[in-house]
Amino acid sequence: MAGKDRQTANVGAGNWKGLGMWAWLLFRISGLVVAGYLFVHIVIISTGRLSGASSLDSIFRSFDKPLFVVLDLLLVWAIIFHAFNGVRVVLMDLGIGIGRHKAVFIGAMAVAVVSLAFFAVKAFEFLGWG
Amino acid sequence: MSEQTIAATQTSSSRDGVRTSGSRTWKYSSREAIDAARGGVWAWLFQRVTAGVLVWGLGSHLIATHIYALGELSYGNIGHRLTAAYFIVVDIALLAAAVYHALNGIRMVVLDYWFKTASSRRGLAVVLWFFGLASFVYGMWALWPWITK
Repeated sequence: MAGKDRQTANVGAGNWKGLGMWAWLLFRISGLVVAGYLFVHIVIISTGRLSGASSLDSIFRSFDKPLFVVLDLLLVWAIIFHAFNGVRVVLMDLGIGIGRHKAVFIGAMAVAVVSLAFFAVKAFEFLGWG
Repeated sequence: MSEQTIAATQTSSSRDGVRTSGSRTWKYSSREAIDAARGGVWAWLFQRVTAGVLVWGLGSHLIATHIYALGELSYGNIGHRLTAAYFIVVDIALLAAAVYHALNGIRMVVLDYWFKTASSRRGLAVVLWFFGLASFVYGMWALWPWITK
């Protein structure tokens, strides 16, 4: 039983083991960062009703500063990494690509890099760095 | 760590219904051991259902805010977005799914290190449900003037 489980869990391992540790760790860190941001986001948006439109707009204006635009881009990257690694996790749950962990991870990350490049271009254009 | 060591660690941690952390050891029924390691089958399912909602909803949200309306963030702009029925559905679904997914995700991380007894895990779940429902109600309260405008 134990031996059989272990074999199943390690199908397609090899180089995957080191890479899988990073996928797991970054999935966790990005998840916690985005979860934390969610509640900050709810609080900030609620200022609109709590203190009125003008105070929400003055908070929004401070988000146009380069520091916040860059932080926002990093947040979008964390979301995109988490989303595409999450798709990979769901594929594994469904038994799709279990023998090709590394290939599926690299495929998911390739799609992630392309989509986060779109957001990076937009952010750099906004900052006038593009 | 060698293959044998990993196998031995796994055998003594969850399959025998005993978990160790530092100097402490907890005994489990097999059902409890599975719950402790995985957080329960319904939470597992809802985490994946909300993940699907988030890919669609957060995708829509990010494209709307960062690709089409970057630099136009304002009270009025949010109100304009929420005149569209599609974005009312997106924002409400997103609020519910994101709060569940975030809190269950935090719970899964926390369960890897703390809350080793079944009763403390139930207590954690109750606290998180109260916090989550309060967050959803507060978020809806905040969105309401835009939605009903």
